[in-house]
Amino acid sequence: MILGDFGTSYCKFLDTEHPGAEPEIVATKALTADLHVDLATGHNGKRFASRYVNELIALARGGEALIGEDSFLLLDCGSRDIKFVHYENGILKDMGWNAECGASMGFTIELLERYYDLDFRTLAVPTQTFSVTCGVLGMSHIFDAVISGIPVAEAVARFVKGIAINAYRFARSPKKIYLSGGLCDNPLFVASLPCEVIPLGRFVLLEGLTRSTVREGEDGGET
Amino acid sequence: MHNHARQQIRRHSGHWQERLAAARRVGIVGVPPLEMIRFLNDRNMALLDLDAMLVKADLETASQLIPRVYCAILRTVVVNALHLDLDAIVVDVGPGKCDAAFHVAAILEESLEIPVIRAENRDNDNFGTPIARGRMPLLEKLLRITEGVKRVSPDPEPPLACEPTAGFWGVPPRDFSILELFPDTTHVYGWSRCMENKTPAAHELEAHVNTTVPTVFFAQSFCAKTALARYLAARHPRALYLDVDVHTTGSAKAKIEAFLELSGVAR
Repeated sequence: MILGDFGTSYCKFLDTEHPGAEPEIVATKALTADLHVDLATGHNGKRFASRYVNELIALARGGEALIGEDSFLLLDCGSRDIKFVHYENGILKDMGWNAECGASMGFTIELLERYYDLDFRTLAVPTQTFSVTCGVLGMSHIFDAVISGIPVAEAVARFVKGIAINAYRFARSPKKIYLSGGLCDNPLFVASLPCEVIPLGRFVLLEGLTRSTVREGEDGGET
Repeated sequence: MHNHARQQIRRHSGHWQERLAAARRVGIVGVPPLEMIRFLNDRNMALLDLDAMLVKADLETASQLIPRVYCAILRTVVVNALHLDLDAIVVDVGPGKCDAAFHVAAILEESLEIPVIRAENRDNDNFGTPIARGRMPLLEKLLRITEGVKRVSPDPEPPLACEPTAGFWGVPPRDFSILELFPDTTHVYGWSRCMENKTPAAHELEAHVNTTVPTVFFAQSFCAKTALARYLAARHPRALYLDVDVHTTGSAKAKIEAFLELSGVAR
C-alpha cells in the first residue's frame, strides 16, 4: 500500500510493502497528474488518492504512534500552516489549525534562506525578535530592519524567532513541544522555541497514516 | 411592492400594531416577542427570517450601509432587507439579540421606506427544547429551530429524544454546511436552544452546557457571543472553540471532523 503526505512544498511517500524502507520525499511541484496513492493526507492529497485522512487526524495518530506518553502536545509546522493536538491522560484536550493567519511560515523561511544564501545551521538565536503572525506580512519587518542597517542574517534570524514564538503561542505556550514537520530540520527555528522541544521529524503524518491502516484492520475495514 | 399598503403603514408612527396592521410581508430579525408573532400570524402575514440567506445577492451589497468587517448574519440581514419586497421589519434589539442589531435596525429605519420596529423580547415562558435534544440530522434540527421563530407554538412533530454523543453550542451559523459533519445524536446548546424554547434572553439557559459530551463551541465572527463561546469552551473538559465568518473554511471543517473522531464520536 502506498501512503502519501501531500504537503504544500514537499510530498512524502511510504510503501508499506517494504518494511523498514525510508519514506521518499518529492517536491510538490514535481508531481505528475497521473500519480495515485492508496491513502493520503495533506491539503493537496484528495486529488491523488483513493482514500483520505484529514491532516489533524493523521497528526494525532502519528503522535499516538511515536510518543509513548498519555499526555503530550504535538505541534506540526508545515510550509503553509501550523497545527497542533494536545492530549491529556489519553484524551484529546485541545487542538488548533491555523491555515490563514499563520500562513506560509515554513514556505517563507525556506524562501528567505535561498534568497539571501543563508545557512540556518550557522545562525545563532537572536536576543531580539520581530512580532510575526504571518510569513508574508512578516517579511516587511526584515526589509525595514535591513534598511535601518541591521545585517541580513540578523534580521532573518529575528524573523525566524518571531515565527517560532508565534507558533509556540498558537499552541497555548506549553512547557514541552513534540515538533513535527520540515522545520524540525531547522536548528535556528527549533532553538528559538522558548520551551523544551523534541523534534520528531517530517514523517509524523505518514506514521499517522500507517496507524490509520492498522486501526482500519482492527475495526474490520470501517473508517 | 404593495405601494398602497406601504403608504398606509408609513402614515402611522404610533403603536407597533398600527404600524404593522396593513403589512403583508414582514421581515423578522432575531426572535421577536410572541405577542408580535401572534399578531402577525393572526393576520396571515408572510414572515421572512432575515437572519437566513434568502436572496442570492452579493454580501458586499451590505457594505453600502454597514462595515465590511461585521457580523455575517447582520450583513445578511441588510442584504435581505435591501433586496426583498417587504412591507415592514421587526427587529429584536433587546437582551435576546445584540447591540449590533440595535444599530442595524436604526440604520435600516433611516435607509428604507418601510417601518422598522424595534422590539425587546423578554419572553420567559419555557416552550421546551425537544428538537435540541432529539435524534435528527443537526442541519435539520437548526432548520426546524429557526423556522419555529415564525410560530407561537412548539414544533408539532419533534424528534424522539436521544442521549447525546456530541454537542453543538452557539447561534445558528450563517453557513449551515458546518452542521453536516455532526452525528444525529448531537444535542444543541446555547442561543439556538434558547430560540427553540422561545426565550432568547434566557442567559442561564444559553450558558448551559453538558460537560460529559465533546462539544463544539461555535462562534460567528464579530458576534458579541464569541466571548461567551470562548469562555465556556475554556472551562469545558472536551471542547473545540471554532470561530467562523461568512463561509466555513476547509480547515474549520477538518477541525470539527478531527475533533469528533479523536474524541471517539461515531457518525
